[in-house]
Amino acid sequence: MIKIKKSEFSEFIKNLQKNYSVFAPVTDGKATAFKKIKSADDINNKILNTKRSPKEIFFPQSEVLFQYTERGMEVPKREEKPFAIWGMRNCDTKSLLMLDNVFGEAHQMPKKDMYKDPYWKEKYDNCLVFNLACNEPLSTCFCNWFGGGPFDKTGSDIFVVETDDSYIFEAVSDKGKKFLKEFKTAEEISDKEIKKIEKLKETAESYLAEKQDVSSLFSKTKEIWDEPIWDEIAAKCVNCGACAFVCPTCHCFDVSDEGKGNKGKRIRLWDSCMFAIFTKEASGHNPRSQSTQRVRQRVMHKYNYFMDNYDEHLCTGCGRCVVVCPVNLDIREVIKKILDYKK
Amino acid sequence: MIQNLRTEVKKLLKDKKVDIVIGWEKGSLPLSSTPLFIHKEEDVDRLIFDETCRNNLTTYLTKDKRKLGKTYDKVGIIVKGCDARSIVLYSIEQQIKRENIVIIGVPCNGVLEKKKILQKTENEEILELKIDGKNVHLKGRDFDLSIPLNEVLCDSCLTCRYPDAPVHDIFIGKPRKEIDIKDEYKKVTDFEKKSSEERWEYIKEEYSKCIRCYACRNVCPACYCNECFVDQNDPQWIGKTPEVTDSIIFHLIRNLHVAGRCVDCGACVSACPVDLDLRIMNKKVEKEIKERFDYTAGLDINEKPAMASYCENEKQDFIMG
Amino acid sequence: MKNTYIPFQMKVKKIYTESPDRTLKTFDLSYINEEDKFDFLPGQFCEFSILGKGESPFGIASSPTEEDILKFTVNRTGSVTNEIHYLQEGDIVGIRGPLGNWYPVEKFKGQDVVIIGGGFAFTTLRSLLVYMLENRKDYGKITVIYGARNPDLFIYKDEIKEWEKRDDLTLHLTIDNPVKGWNKLTGFVPTVTKEVSFDPTSWCVVCGPPIMIKYTLPVLTEIGFPDEKIYTSLERRMKCGIGKCGRCNIGSKYICIDGPVFSYEEIKKIPEAL
Repeated sequence: MIKIKKSEFSEFIKNLQKNYSVFAPVTDGKATAFKKIKSADDINNKILNTKRSPKEIFFPQSEVLFQYTERGMEVPKREEKPFAIWGMRNCDTKSLLMLDNVFGEAHQMPKKDMYKDPYWKEKYDNCLVFNLACNEPLSTCFCNWFGGGPFDKTGSDIFVVETDDSYIFEAVSDKGKKFLKEFKTAEEISDKEIKKIEKLKETAESYLAEKQDVSSLFSKTKEIWDEPIWDEIAAKCVNCGACAFVCPTCHCFDVSDEGKGNKGKRIRLWDSCMFAIFTKEASGHNPRSQSTQRVRQRVMHKYNYFMDNYDEHLCTGCGRCVVVCPVNLDIREVIKKILDYKK
Repeated sequence: MIQNLRTEVKKLLKDKKVDIVIGWEKGSLPLSSTPLFIHKEEDVDRLIFDETCRNNLTTYLTKDKRKLGKTYDKVGIIVKGCDARSIVLYSIEQQIKRENIVIIGVPCNGVLEKKKILQKTENEEILELKIDGKNVHLKGRDFDLSIPLNEVLCDSCLTCRYPDAPVHDIFIGKPRKEIDIKDEYKKVTDFEKKSSEERWEYIKEEYSKCIRCYACRNVCPACYCNECFVDQNDPQWIGKTPEVTDSIIFHLIRNLHVAGRCVDCGACVSACPVDLDLRIMNKKVEKEIKERFDYTAGLDINEKPAMASYCENEKQDFIMG
Repeated sequence: MKNTYIPFQMKVKKIYTESPDRTLKTFDLSYINEEDKFDFLPGQFCEFSILGKGESPFGIASSPTEEDILKFTVNRTGSVTNEIHYLQEGDIVGIRGPLGNWYPVEKFKGQDVVIIGGGFAFTTLRSLLVYMLENRKDYGKITVIYGARNPDLFIYKDEIKEWEKRDDLTLHLTIDNPVKGWNKLTGFVPTVTKEVSFDPTSWCVVCGPPIMIKYTLPVLTEIGFPDEKIYTSLERRMKCGIGKCGRCNIGSKYICIDGPVFSYEEIKKIPEAL
């Protein structure tokens, strides 16, 4: 582990920008998000959970798949350097691994290459992720339910702890090791600082609410699939897409053409299984016409279907949906209700 | 007040005057309440009413396939002044049968706007909220703050003339009576004074934040179309991208669709996850309707709405040419 | 890395109007570039693009043995299918595929096969039937039940006439309600299936409107077909066709990559399948 002084932070970011397009949490007007920064001055390291999740760096809300003219189709060229993302939290770095399961490898099919998503791959495969430890988790954080934690390193290349006067770096992946090796200006840390990190970690974990045992969530969700409990869970949902759009793991999308005559583009746009039109067919038939069915789909996809395919829940406990839900339909309470349900 | 409310609701359920009562209960976050659907007497004690009861619950009477106003023969619903005005709207527009709804009015002192509170705490998380009379006490990890209630109420509440349900079957507590508001449209008139470039810049900047989650539309009592124009794809009226040109069309058309129908309940404003100023345009349209047709939405169940009636002497200066 | 979101171009070679009300048309597409040609098996589908309008998934109606063309039959219901119906011979369209899985033709070898279809969903069943007839000696007895609302709504009418003449194929045609001049079977597909006798040791493939599938599968169980020998093809709205966009997700399956072909045994384990 090595460290840089906080006074050296600007310089560090400047150097990073030589080889990378650097994204970091910024306050933009009233909203917070991960944005490409001009300099370290833009960065707000105090933001714990940006309002919009950093998945949009790799999977933007709207992305051109190709443009077409009378001469044919063309994928827009990315002239950008590889991405470096500063200040991601564990709940977001973990979400990237989950999304890479979907967009990166296709688990079941023989001709794997065909099922890779080139738009995701080219951004994700070349990026460098700095995971900033959460010294003060929020009351809505429940990462500990799903195996994460304020000082968990999963999904990052370089793990960073902010102390009173420095940033302490620890390489996690090979990519991170390579990066830190070339980092000559930093100094090694002392035993005292290791203890300091331990203390910070302890304090951070003490802020988290009590951990819920979710080991039976998979079997339980399966068990109750056609029980009336879903009506109770879904009763107050108004079927907006706020939860899905701030979620770092939700990844459903729509594909839409925009064009006139011979010219135009095909774009993909975030979509949500909460919307009635998501499954509505051209004939007018809608297999998920009821709100209850749609709420069940979202919950089941997160805590059962995805688990079935990839052995983990499609939720990192970031708590963003808890904060934004206009009717305070708290996913933590939904989970508890499911776990407590007796047929 | 709350005890009287609970007693009354219990009585309604016990006497089978209603099949269900929609109200609020304590939410999972300090600043939030959450909708409560009461079928059984034993759930009545969860009922609350305070400054966190932002949601306009009448939206559940018409929303989606649930349409509680149609699923149940008799629905009891607890309403603030603005909420009750939505029911008047439903009744005029024949979305519900007035006699199927038992309207329970409660005296409203206004509701809190999360956004304003978070500005006060500089986005620091609030862990505890207490309200006594005219003051709000907020506690966080490293702060303890008291602020006058007035500074953190929703804009809609600050200019609210009708805090009591203008139409109700039962009223619990002491009505606040109509309030005389002097500068209800101050924000609009200030906005009107700006140059068209400045106004355009403001609208563009605000709507460019939109993530098209449709929370505003889905909580809005006036938005109950089975299929919204943004969702239609044959023909597709507007693009679905979050780009400002598409978002503006969505919001402005929605403004026009709720013209003369919006009761300024503020549900859209508090639902918006990215804190758009959704109110300014709605209020502008409301002002126009007030000035041109002397109509205020949701006050009189027997009055023809502004956009559904015509008088020969109406101003026609909007016709160009 | 292959970019599966980009369609390749094909030319509309021939258009057939299948029904007098012109709601059903079949399109034979020919390859423009030799290298775009792909191998596939009956049951797979493609995304059919009209640039500027969008894409829709359609089962491939041609057999892999018809090497130079891809055939699709399109019912006119929405904005994309409308646009497809406006196509003229010679026009260029976009195709992505082959997508999804296929009927287990390998398992069918040396065995009897029953094909049950309804309405314009006979597309991939045509692919399967033509494929088996081309390799006739590989399969045992072939029986087909094909139902439509009225005689006009059968697709591939000319080929049906040819199939009727063959003695190595039993074909039962049925319409929902009696019509003057119709001398074949009358009744819904599930009822007719019950009446026609089969050997339940055969393999069975069912494809049709969701309601037909829903009511035919239990009839097959009643006759004695084991779940693992009954296959059907499911349909949902799709966008990407490669298991990403989430639209066709039911249970832990994605119809576009885990299906569209599922055995009855699998379907029973998938919530929302029927």
